[in-house]
Amino acid sequence: MADTEDAGASVSEPLDLVRLSLDEIVFVKLRGDRELKGRLHAYDSHCNLVLGDVEETIYVVEEDENEEETTRTIKKQEEMLFVRGDSVVLISPQA
Amino acid sequence: MSFFGFDTTLPRDRGRGPGAPKGFFENSDPFAQVALADKFVDGDAVDFEDTYDGLGDQLDDDQDEFNDDTFGGGGETAPVGRDFDFFGRTAGVADVIGEEQVRYSLQNPQAAPAPAQRAAPATAVPAESTSRRTGYEKYSEPGYIPDLQAKSSVWTQKAEPTPAPAPAPAPSRKIMSLEEVEAIEAQMRHRGQPIGGLPPQQIPQSMADLYQRHPQHFPTLPDGFPQLPPELQAQLEKGGMPHPPPGMPELYGGPGPAMPPGAPFLQNNLPPQNMPPQGPRHAGPPQGQRPQNMQQQPPPPPSSRAPNNGLPVITNPQQLMHLTEEQRNTYLVEDAKRAKRNHKIFLLSRGNGLMTPQDKNFITRIQLQQLVAAAGNVADSDPEAVLAEDFYYQVYSQIRGAPRQHPHQPLGHFAQTYLLQTGNRLGGNRHRHPLQGADNHMQRMQQQVQRAVEAAKAKPKNKQLIIEGSLGKISFSNAKAPKPMLNIKRPDSSEGPRPKKVQSDLSLSDRKSILTNIERVYSALMSMEDMERTMPPPPEEGDADAIQEHMEWRQKLQSLNQKLWKALKVMEPIVPNSTTPHPFIAFLSHPKGKKAIPRIFRHIDQEQRVTILTMIVVHLDSLDVVRLAQSIPGEAQPSLAVREAIDLFSLAVMPSLLQYVNEAPFNIIIGLLGLVIAQTHVQSVARTKVGLGILTMLLSRAELVKEAGQAPERDWQQWVEKFNVLFDTLEPVLADIFPGSINSGDDMYVWQFLAAVGIGASPEQQQRLVIAVKDRVMETVGYSKSLPADMSSQRLGNVNLFMRAIGLDVELLG
Repeated sequence: MADTEDAGASVSEPLDLVRLSLDEIVFVKLRGDRELKGRLHAYDSHCNLVLGDVEETIYVVEEDENEEETTRTIKKQEEMLFVRGDSVVLISPQA
Repeated sequence: MSFFGFDTTLPRDRGRGPGAPKGFFENSDPFAQVALADKFVDGDAVDFEDTYDGLGDQLDDDQDEFNDDTFGGGGETAPVGRDFDFFGRTAGVADVIGEEQVRYSLQNPQAAPAPAQRAAPATAVPAESTSRRTGYEKYSEPGYIPDLQAKSSVWTQKAEPTPAPAPAPAPSRKIMSLEEVEAIEAQMRHRGQPIGGLPPQQIPQSMADLYQRHPQHFPTLPDGFPQLPPELQAQLEKGGMPHPPPGMPELYGGPGPAMPPGAPFLQNNLPPQNMPPQGPRHAGPPQGQRPQNMQQQPPPPPSSRAPNNGLPVITNPQQLMHLTEEQRNTYLVEDAKRAKRNHKIFLLSRGNGLMTPQDKNFITRIQLQQLVAAAGNVADSDPEAVLAEDFYYQVYSQIRGAPRQHPHQPLGHFAQTYLLQTGNRLGGNRHRHPLQGADNHMQRMQQQVQRAVEAAKAKPKNKQLIIEGSLGKISFSNAKAPKPMLNIKRPDSSEGPRPKKVQSDLSLSDRKSILTNIERVYSALMSMEDMERTMPPPPEEGDADAIQEHMEWRQKLQSLNQKLWKALKVMEPIVPNSTTPHPFIAFLSHPKGKKAIPRIFRHIDQEQRVTILTMIVVHLDSLDVVRLAQSIPGEAQPSLAVREAIDLFSLAVMPSLLQYVNEAPFNIIIGLLGLVIAQTHVQSVARTKVGLGILTMLLSRAELVKEAGQAPERDWQQWVEKFNVLFDTLEPVLADIFPGSINSGDDMYVWQFLAAVGIGASPEQQQRLVIAVKDRVMETVGYSKSLPADMSSQRLGNVNLFMRAIGLDVELLG
């Protein structure tokens, strides 16, 4: 209930942009070669996020015998996810 | 040897050998070198060799043997002597005294339980404390937390030094109130006994004694003054006067000012002259606490041993013999009381000792911090702050109807509960036992909490403190407002470099501005919901203030309403044939926009509601749930996202609209139907669930109005005209308004719509209707036969909705 002030809707700090994406589908890039796509339910000043209906994509780089690097992706589906803010690299609205 | 390894032999004893060190004055001629230097004044540069007196060479470097002894270095650590271990010595005696107690209790069966229990802590504590040598061991313990002491500089009021949690001696201490003392004195005077064996004029002096004997009650102990361990203090009190002469009341019998200097506890003795500063130093103790102080002073020194009702302290059974019969009886009665009390204490103190003082301090610190943080709010009594702290709980408890006496009572405040509880408890006991041991602890705690709260309140509001002369800043923090790591100044909203881009009309409908609008709506909504919570009670007749308050509240709510309305952009001009949707329709295209509608409807008036409904009806075509829901040939049904949007719209928006429509006047219904026909592409609207839903809504309301006989004839004529237009428009597509194929299931809303049309239709229209949907009816009936019973009856029920509306039944179809 902190943002009941009327200034709440006007963009005055970076996180206000995140607020615009509340209840929208967002694309979140995380440390450790992970990406999330899901509906943003909540966030806070640490960029902790609560996402719903999330598709998580993990990129795994593997070296085969010929020392050629191949990238493999693992996809996971989560109904609800809490993302700790310190791993968030970017949050992007997914129009 | 000497302490620092200096050579302490006198000069005359010292050998005069060449290597022997010489003192400064033993030097043959200390100033010779100066004279020597003079010679070079007019000469060349001063040569070091010439001026160096060679004293450094004469230093004796070989007498370092004792340095290790002195400074504690060296390879092996020699055991430290115990010459200064006063504490340990005294503690050793404590055992003896404890044993005395046990012996006495054995000899005196009636009083047995009491002294035995009292002796227990007395013997147990020294046993543990004898191992102590320096008193500094605890500093080396990991996680040591220093005692929490209320420093008078911090707690501006009445600094009663808080002793380290020392439950052992405290419970057995009993102090009489002023009244009790006076009563006893009066009694004794009546009997012609000298009061305490001392003439009255000596009382002031005795009060000084009191302070000396009980430094722990002395308010002017310097901060950080080392506190004697309580058990030691108890020992000292006894040790100072091991065996008071029989019959001599111990009233003022403590060690007087004439105690020999050098007595170990003298370090704690403060000269009586120190008393006056007490007032100025702790300026203005509150009135409530002053009397309590006064109560502490006049009574005789509390002895940890005896109830002290003018009775001698019995430390030796023989003393009992010297007492009069009356005194002995009194003594025994007192002793029995004491025994009972001690038993109670024993029961209460079973868990004692489970926590170390460090544990307790740790907990206390956490609790204090919580209290300060929480009680800060209580002091503000600001419901906003309470809500901000614990919003969802507050709302939850409001919904659940938590037992809350009045709305301003903050819920779940440990602080309040705690303070009240202890307050009650103390309030009841205060008169009887001004400083009773067990309560004393709670009382101290309470006082400390109060002081902490006051200090927190008095704390400067700014978040930083720059002490003069220091290099850094000190940031305050508490549980609620953590210490800010970054101090970024926000530009004021009025000025500052905030990009004040005036939004052009063109950008009104881009995605970001739509989202911004939605957030504005939510902000306004939340403010209004907050306002609702702070609604003042309805004013009574003649209460000007209350009326005024109510007016102001209404005004604020009105302005918020305007803000909400503005943010909704409902009143934006409708641009015909525009490629960008109307801002309000764009608002509705977002799930959160849809979800906001029921909340919005609660806060707006009827006129605003009808405006919103009109807006939706006019833009029915461009509404996402209608536009995207047009079934594309080849695809059975719209995409999942669209279906979700439709469901959400049906769940969130439709009920609000329906609720309004059910109360709307008939002419508005007519107007709305006219708008649908005029402004939208009815045939395509009818192919969607939402479109049909709105049509059904309007038609059924009209039917209800007609049945209630509320429709004036002229209005009804108008309605029938519009209805006919609608019917004619829809007739060709009636077969296509069903979603997908027969087995797709959800077609109830279509049957509902058809039923609504059927009721309002003329008999001729009904026939046309039946012809139009006959195929679908037959298909459904046929299909339902292949379904399980419950599903079958459901499908047939849906069809029957329509059939009965036109006076038929599926049963008739056989």
